[in-house]
Amino acid sequence: MGFYLRQSLLGIVAAVVVACGERSAVVTGEVVDDLGRRVTLSAPARRVVSLSPAITELLFAIGAGDLVVGRTQFDKYPPGVAEIADVGDGLDPNIERVVARRPDLVALYASNANERAMRRLTDMGIATVSIRLDSLTSVARGARMLGRLTGTARRADSVARAFEAERDSALRVPPPASTRRVLILAWDNPPIIIGARSFLSELVRLSGGENVFGDVDAPSATVAVETIAERNPDAIVFFAEDAPTFAQRPEWQTIPAVRMRRFVFLEGSEFEYPSPRAFRALERLRAGLAEVVR
Amino acid sequence: MTRWAALFALAAAALVAGVALGPADMSWSESLAGLLGRGDETAVTIVRELRAPRVLLAFLVGGCLAVTGAALQALVRNPLADPYLLGLSGGAGVGAVLAIALHLGGAWAVPAAAFVGALVAIGLVYRLALVAGAGIDPRVLLLAGVVVSAFGGAILGAIFSLSSAAELRNAMLWLLGGFDAASWRVLAMFTSYAAIPVAYLYYTSRPLDLLSLGEEPAQFLGIDVERVKRRLYVAASLLTAACVAVSGIIGFVGLVIPHAVRMVLGHTHRTLLPAAFLLGGTLLAAADAVARTAFAPRELPVGVVTALVGVPVFAMLLRRWTT
Amino acid sequence: MDDMILEGSEIRYRYPGADLEAVAGVSLSVRPGEMVGIVGPNGSGKTTLLRLLVGILRPQHGDVTVAGKAIGEWKRRELARLIGVVAQREEPAFPLTVRQAVLLGRYPHMGALAAPGQRDLAAVQSALERCDVAQLSDRWLATLSGGEWQRVRVARALAQAPRVLMLDEPTASLDVRHEMEVFELVSDLVHRDRLAGVVVTHHVNLAARFVDRIVVMEDGRAGAVGPPAEVLTRDLLERVFGWPVEVGMWQGVPQFVPLRSVKPSGESE
Repeated sequence: MGFYLRQSLLGIVAAVVVACGERSAVVTGEVVDDLGRRVTLSAPARRVVSLSPAITELLFAIGAGDLVVGRTQFDKYPPGVAEIADVGDGLDPNIERVVARRPDLVALYASNANERAMRRLTDMGIATVSIRLDSLTSVARGARMLGRLTGTARRADSVARAFEAERDSALRVPPPASTRRVLILAWDNPPIIIGARSFLSELVRLSGGENVFGDVDAPSATVAVETIAERNPDAIVFFAEDAPTFAQRPEWQTIPAVRMRRFVFLEGSEFEYPSPRAFRALERLRAGLAEVVR
Repeated sequence: MTRWAALFALAAAALVAGVALGPADMSWSESLAGLLGRGDETAVTIVRELRAPRVLLAFLVGGCLAVTGAALQALVRNPLADPYLLGLSGGAGVGAVLAIALHLGGAWAVPAAAFVGALVAIGLVYRLALVAGAGIDPRVLLLAGVVVSAFGGAILGAIFSLSSAAELRNAMLWLLGGFDAASWRVLAMFTSYAAIPVAYLYYTSRPLDLLSLGEEPAQFLGIDVERVKRRLYVAASLLTAACVAVSGIIGFVGLVIPHAVRMVLGHTHRTLLPAAFLLGGTLLAAADAVARTAFAPRELPVGVVTALVGVPVFAMLLRRWTT
Repeated sequence: MDDMILEGSEIRYRYPGADLEAVAGVSLSVRPGEMVGIVGPNGSGKTTLLRLLVGILRPQHGDVTVAGKAIGEWKRRELARLIGVVAQREEPAFPLTVRQAVLLGRYPHMGALAAPGQRDLAAVQSALERCDVAQLSDRWLATLSGGEWQRVRVARALAQAPRVLMLDEPTASLDVRHEMEVFELVSDLVHRDRLAGVVVTHHVNLAARFVDRIVVMEDGRAGAVGPPAEVLTRDLLERVFGWPVEVGMWQGVPQFVPLRSVKPSGESE
């Protein structure tokens, strides 16, 4: 015994300590979420309720899809989400239904509307993380955050890096010959346009276009038809499955893009929020604009 | 005479302002030149195809709402009556929302559905207000209108909170009132339609004066009260339903304008109704101009502007009333 | 009779849903220059009778004739030019001046949209003077006393240029002075301007002093019709009003006094 034993014991203890430390560095998650809150989990989350379609998609993308036990009524992608329990609205959610899923982590959209819900859940001892997935840069960040909390950090990190690579190559695509001035129209009566602070506006910019309402510093706004006529967009991006009814209304004919039927119809959840599919969306937008604005 | 001159001058000013002002970046002279067809092509298009019909439509709707308000105040013998006591706001909203939910086609689906919804609501109120097969009891009419309106509003509230479709929520924005859908075609349709009930209301000026005395005295003075009440109700309903279908729900005009006119020109409906038409039109045309320009390029709902103007005016009137 | 301007014969009327008839066979006629009073306890059918005579209600049996023509054949506007009615209750919803209120009486004469003409304005002025309210022409109705308001309403009825003047409880809630003023005014109008006057009132004594004939209503029937001196006997009044009375003559007209009730000890007045 004596010296060699003591050395071995020390060695074993040291190895155990180091091993524990390393596992804790990989397994325990501590992140600062998008509302500046420090979220700490002692073990990776095993049951996650996602209160945003963007977060749900991201969880699936980083390999944590089977951890999702609850989702909002609006979640559409990937197709498997239909089987997951629906807990209702994502903003100001129904706490009872969320808690009934026995989650150890609830991921919400970072918004004031969710403050009350976050407090209630925290009081009940359920960890909450709030993520603002509203722009392309937020996708990589969100993926990494969720990865650390669900023990899928490696996979999440590779998804994030792939996303960043796609983004870089997208930025390297040469812009079209002339800047296309684009109107992003969400609704026609009253006319609701998409402003600068939105994912769609970002996509338009990346596709080499200019949002004619880029001076509106809000996600959306109501405007008069004459404002649209004055700004005279080259193309109108509209989200519908078929031709919009406003195209036949007489007052919209004052807009040349309407008269010349320069519409780009986009449909699909990849346009509704930033996700790993964002660049597919960008491609469709580019193609649509190229076809319409020759 | 000078009071009429002032009314006409105000109306003219509102019309001119409505054409000259707007979110598009044009000066007064550019706008007015555009009206005459001179200048930049875009400016001409905007002024002639968008602003001119819009200002005129706002003026007409304002006039119709004011005239209807005055007539209803006489009909139910209550100075707080306004066109929406007919109960149609909820019905119009439900109609419009249904049209969107069911993807009813055509550019005119929403206004047509709103019109039908409004008429259904009015029919319901009328049925409720018919007491024991006898005539229209104004007190029951008031209550029935409130009830049906609340019912329609509750349905809309339920749709709003339960529906996931952004379209339905956007449809509700239309209800807040606005003249975005104005065009020469809409203006022509509305004018030819509204002319008849407006003419009828004006023609009924004398009976309206007498009704304010009470139903029995009016009868003694030669009015077939039941027939007049019925026809007034129908004319007011058709007119209001058309206004709501064209421009959503715009409050305060029908309530406040008749009082303002009464303070200046008295109660005789023969003068009250035309003056109310002018002043109501002026108010709404001006409110629409403000809605378009106050936060350009963003646009406010017209109903918000009329409420912001209407509430302090109403407070002033109340003060005058009680002294 | 030819000179009767307003005649009702054997009129009967039952309100929808009521068990009994409100007016159960009443005959009454009035000629120009004659004032007729209709009295009776509450619920005896006085106001219903008036409504039937004016044509607001149509009798289920019997006829009402106005100026020789059956009442059903007259248009409401035409009737308003023949019969001026001062109703029991009236609450204008909007403020009016006295002159504006009296002008409303000219409406049966004015076209739908025409401005008031010279004749209309003259009729209004003369009605105002006749009822002694001309000095109140520009006052708001709400500022008038009860008596003044009543005289204004009579002026309005007069502005209709009627041949018959009907008043339903014209002195309810008026004080003595105003009661007398109203009755004197109506009597004057009837006898000087040769109108036919019908006054429904619960004030039997006052009616007795002014009317030429009195109708005492009893459960929907005309208990008695005739000059007050003949009709207002103690037996009739006690039967109709269900209370012991004493009747005395005052200037040739019967006036009655209701007696106080019998005391428990058997003493009475």
